[in-house]
Amino acid sequence: MAGASMIGGLGLAARAQSAVTKPRDGAADVLDVAIVGAGLAGLTTARDLNRAGCQSFVVLEARDRVGGRTFNHDLGDGRVSEAGGQWIGPGQTAVVDLARELEVDTFPTYYAGKTVFLAGDARLAVDLHGTFGTDEKIAAKLNALARDVPSGAPWLAPNAAELDALSVGDWLAQQAIAPADRVGWDATVLLSGGATPAQMGLLHFLSMVNSAHSDYAQLDSIKDSAQETRFVGGSQILSIKMAKELDAHLRMTCPVRAITDWDGEVVSLHTDRGVVRARRVVMAIHPALCNRIDFSPNLPNERAMLQRHWPAYTPGRKTAMVYARPFWRDKGLNGHVLQAGGPVLWAYDNSPPDAAIGVINSFIQNGAVPSDPELATRMLTAIYARALGDDALTPQQYHDVDWGTCDTWTLTCVAAIPPRFWTTYGKALHPPCGRLIWSGTETADIWAGYMDGAVRAGHRSALQVLNSLGAHA
Amino acid sequence: MTRRIVIGVVVVVSVVAIVLGPQAFDYLRFERNLADAAKASEADGGAWPQRADECTLCHGHQGDSVNQVYADLAGQPAEYLAAQLHAFADGHRASPFMAPLAMTLNDGDVDRLSAHFARQTATNNDTFAPDAALSAQGKHLSGSCAACHGDRFMGRDRNPRLAGQGYDYLLAQMNAYADNTRSDPTGAMNALAAALSDVDRRAVATYLASYPVAENVEGDHESN
Ligand SMILES: Cc1cc2nc3c(=O)[nH]c(=O)nc-3n(C[C@H](O)[C@H](O)[C@H](O)COP(=O)(O)OP(=O)(O)OC[C@H]3O[C@@H](n4cnc5c(N)ncnc54)[C@H](O)[C@@H]3O)c2cc1C
Ligand code: HEC
Ligand code: HEC
Repeated sequence: MAGASMIGGLGLAARAQSAVTKPRDGAADVLDVAIVGAGLAGLTTARDLNRAGCQSFVVLEARDRVGGRTFNHDLGDGRVSEAGGQWIGPGQTAVVDLARELEVDTFPTYYAGKTVFLAGDARLAVDLHGTFGTDEKIAAKLNALARDVPSGAPWLAPNAAELDALSVGDWLAQQAIAPADRVGWDATVLLSGGATPAQMGLLHFLSMVNSAHSDYAQLDSIKDSAQETRFVGGSQILSIKMAKELDAHLRMTCPVRAITDWDGEVVSLHTDRGVVRARRVVMAIHPALCNRIDFSPNLPNERAMLQRHWPAYTPGRKTAMVYARPFWRDKGLNGHVLQAGGPVLWAYDNSPPDAAIGVINSFIQNGAVPSDPELATRMLTAIYARALGDDALTPQQYHDVDWGTCDTWTLTCVAAIPPRFWTTYGKALHPPCGRLIWSGTETADIWAGYMDGAVRAGHRSALQVLNSLGAHA
Repeated sequence: MTRRIVIGVVVVVSVVAIVLGPQAFDYLRFERNLADAAKASEADGGAWPQRADECTLCHGHQGDSVNQVYADLAGQPAEYLAAQLHAFADGHRASPFMAPLAMTLNDGDVDRLSAHFARQTATNNDTFAPDAALSAQGKHLSGSCAACHGDRFMGRDRNPRLAGQGYDYLLAQMNAYADNTRSDPTGAMNALAAALSDVDRRAVATYLASYPVAENVEGDHESN
């Protein structure tokens, strides 16, 4: 009965049934594994299971597309620009390996030339040589503190309580930052960490620096850093290619609303397309998304508290302005713009590898740019024109995604963990609850919050599942 | 005295000019603008960095959003803002964004942020293009709202300002009251919103979103 409703109404139902439903113990509709979420983490788990010979699994995805927080805007002629995660950098070996296996090429972020700074009516063009001009003395202090903060479990740092009591802002305030340098710190903490300094936990921020080999420059720069490299075909291509391999196992437009009997032998997942039953469940979604699912019985208190308090307020609104050519490059500009006080936080050249068209992507302040696309285009092109020249006034396309409001399946860009969070709730991040295995980039040991972390979490979850199924076989 | 200052400035400028070339003046203007902005922000909201910096990312510069989806906080009664922040934190008002954020605020933070945004100046919602027919219908339906929200819908005490608020935001709230996913502690809004049809709610939101913001906010508060 559950099996029938599970596949009812799906075009791929007939194909899916034979591939997916390989009964182990007579209960025809019980799968070995259900994976919630077809982002990089969930799809990596599915791919590993598939390659390990496990065929009895399904991936349940709320949206009608795969890739989660990676999404390619289609600019025509096979060219794309990314709305979500897009860069990789040194030490992000898991996502690089995956790309090689999937035959996805990479290319460098464009930064040759001068970056334009805007503050009020002032404009300044400076060659930063692929950096953001961070104060190296302060970066060195952060690096020293970061060495003892384990990237995947910051609450285990020897002085965790002390560091977690502070916001990054509290700490910066002790460093006698000159007034003119404050906007720089506001921007770098927001763009790397996902919150303004006063809202961002120091312990968490240090755990991010720890992921980057305890070298702040490898986190917040472009050259030799986490914003150095892009994927040919856009980051979503990784998920699209994995999905092709896994086609018969995917259930699209299939949000999980409730999960029952997670503490028993067989868990039931209640979706908009019926009930799915499985022996193990991989939750490849972040804790704030878990918080929107009804669990019965209730989750243990520590886990419920983690989910309830999980910060889901990183404002991620990213736009793409498409031009006939990357005209700024002719003038010795790299298309990067930093505007003190916004509404543009950081604009950058996101043109495709052949540079046949020009693309300026921007992280913008959500509330300071109109939601109406025409008005937004007018506001942003006026800013780009001041920075890059009047050619900026005649774009060919405009794309805009506010990840908080476009739908309810992402909510937040990354997890900007506030002060006192990790030491209060962190312990509940990893331990499985009954048959539920917690996954998603947020659970990664290294580069949590990044695409690389998602791939790492995906591999780990597959091992967890296979081990635990093996142990109970 | 004046001469000495002038000479001093010239010396600084020429040193910078040697280092930076023709960009020297741009550089000085840039630095001055940053320093002025830092000073203004300190005078308004206290020492850097401030909690309110996080809020303005979504709610607009100084809480005056130009995005129809995000609520204006500027010029809302402090009492109303504080009540909402407490409601988000204790679960009486649901929001996946504001709930975990409000849980990070202590009572002092709530009072400071509420007072801060109440002090900011609200402006007209001129990034919204109202449909004339809907607006006329909305005007007709909004007569009774003034009793609580003020003659010019500028709000007071626990009653929020509606004039010039974001259209999508207003509509979402009317719908939330109507289907009881947001509950007004006084009960008034749930009954009022449920009595309006879908089109009525859009009409009311259109009318209020385009209603001009009263210049004399204080006067309006007192006259009610
Ligand atoms: C604007 C932005 C910029 C970023 N920049 C970078 C960057 O440059 N480099 C980098 O490495 N990372 C970046 N990131 C982060 C990166 O995109 C993520 O870390 C990564 O994509 C997360 O993958 P995931 O599989 O863990 O989660 P997700 O991609 O969030 O996947 C979760 C999936 O689960 C689905 N889902 C949610 N709820 C349910 C439900 N109840 N039932 C069924 N399905 C559900 C969602 O639709 C989604 O497909 C950025 C993110 C954003 C938003
Ligand atoms: C990620 C975006 C985001 C950030 C950052 C944010 N908010 Fe909000 N805020 C929202 C959204 C969305 C709503 C509407 C919630 C709903 O659906 O009812 C909201 C609603 C509110 C409301 C209720 C407004 C009303 O008219 O009832 C208040 C008050 C508020 N926020 C205060 C704040 C404060 C103070 C901060 C900073 C500490 C802040 N917000 C930061 C997104 C944000
Ligand atoms: C009896 C008093 C009363 C009347 C009459 C009234 N309101 Fe309200 N309204 C309130 C109160 C109180 C709140 C805040 C409730 C809460 O805290 O959720 C509110 C909230 C709102 C909100 C949410 C605003 C925000 O910023 O989130 C909207 C929209 C609204 N009212 C619209 C209307 C409209 C339209 C009318 C007339 C059709 C109306 N109200 C009539 C008392 C009233």
